[in-house]
Amino acid sequence: MAIVEHLASLLRKPIETSDEAGERSVSTQKTEDESGNTVIVAPPEFRFMYPEFLPDPAPETRNRLREKLERMDMLQRRSVIEIPEFYTGSIMAVTVADANSPNKFARFVGICIQRGGSGLRAWFILRNVVDKQGVEILYEMYCPLIQKIEVLRLERRLDESLLYLRDALPEYSTFPLNMEQERRLNNSVVPINPIKVKLRPRPWLERWERQNLQGVEDLNLPQRFYDKAEKVAKPWEKYDLMLHYRKTIPAEEQEKIFAEVHSQLQQQELKRKLRRRRGFDNEQ
Amino acid sequence: MNQADLSKLVSALRIAVKPKPRLLSCPEGPAGRLKKLRATVTALVKYERIELNYPRADEAQGYAERLISDAIRNGDCHKHTMEMADYWLNEKQLVHKLFKVLVPRYQNYNSSFTRLVLGPKTYPGYYAGTAILELKGNPFPALQPENHNYHYWLHNVLLEEAKKEFRSAQEERNAGTTESVTTES
Repeated sequence: MAIVEHLASLLRKPIETSDEAGERSVSTQKTEDESGNTVIVAPPEFRFMYPEFLPDPAPETRNRLREKLERMDMLQRRSVIEIPEFYTGSIMAVTVADANSPNKFARFVGICIQRGGSGLRAWFILRNVVDKQGVEILYEMYCPLIQKIEVLRLERRLDESLLYLRDALPEYSTFPLNMEQERRLNNSVVPINPIKVKLRPRPWLERWERQNLQGVEDLNLPQRFYDKAEKVAKPWEKYDLMLHYRKTIPAEEQEKIFAEVHSQLQQQELKRKLRRRRGFDNEQ
Repeated sequence: MNQADLSKLVSALRIAVKPKPRLLSCPEGPAGRLKKLRATVTALVKYERIELNYPRADEAQGYAERLISDAIRNGDCHKHTMEMADYWLNEKQLVHKLFKVLVPRYQNYNSSFTRLVLGPKTYPGYYAGTAILELKGNPFPALQPENHNYHYWLHNVLLEEAKKEFRSAQEERNAGTTESVTTES
């Protein structure tokens, strides 16, 4: 009973405003709301950096208490292991604990072609070509078996999903397994790689001509493919305001969620930066 | 499990949004559905109070609220919002009305911008009945009389408690007299 009461009290707890917020030493991120109380607001880029903190918008499966508990667990996991900021198109290396391998660890390097899921079930897929064989591995970000996630090259591509790499020439998906972490030239902006990928000749796994891909070279298909794509297209969906609304979390709710989570994330980042600097100084 | 779409920021709507949209079947299919709703939203912005069948009114309410909330959030210099206004409002002078009249009117609203009131359900007729969809703050006389007596107002709360006290005192007095009657007999 006591546990249930405690969990219920978490829901009733208001978002920090006015005096409680003022006492915390959080850098900037304080705005005034209508009543003049200071409210902690996370920077707007947070929704791109940590998209898994936002819940699945489908109202049938939403459960505010479960989401709150998941966020607590996610922060707890992030305090143990560093889950860096990454996007589709970034090249990453993941080390997983594996009982059956000789070193007890398995390391895989690849380009992130897709990411999805929300809460503790957030996942991403890494793709690489090893010995002329394309390999894709889906990693769950908060799985306790994951020992280390490194982002070797942080960049974005022109599309949110790079599944077309499966039908592209293998050179676009090949990355050396012993690749080292590249230094970022500009820490404030994530570069967008405008590369246009060349696809192999048909047959393909999906009808890429129907998907409005920006990161693919001209497909050079016979006109009948484009005609059929036009026939099958749904141009009115671009204007369907309620369709978009049902697929997103409203801005006010996003702000609430990130306001809860952002101070702890910032503290974790600061601690890691200090540890890195101390490690660097020790080496020197 | 899907990740929420991050490309656009939308304001929360202050109406109840059903999880699934209605299909509003018509010969042109899904394209025709949006065409019908466009006509409804245009009429709502033009006349500020329209009477129509309930299912279409419910769908159009969502779209009207989204349009107005986008216009308030982003203003008229935002390309996407202007495209939406251009699509949803068939008469172009209503785009001006949206940004110049409706946005200032609803700027500081904490409630929804539209009101959906159920209308008469005549038999025989359309099963779902009619509804009246109106923009709040319109110049017409109110559809529903204002309620001037809410149970949670302070004087009503105090009166209720006073009534309860009076009744319990009355019961005690009655119990006292009946006891005295029984003892006597």
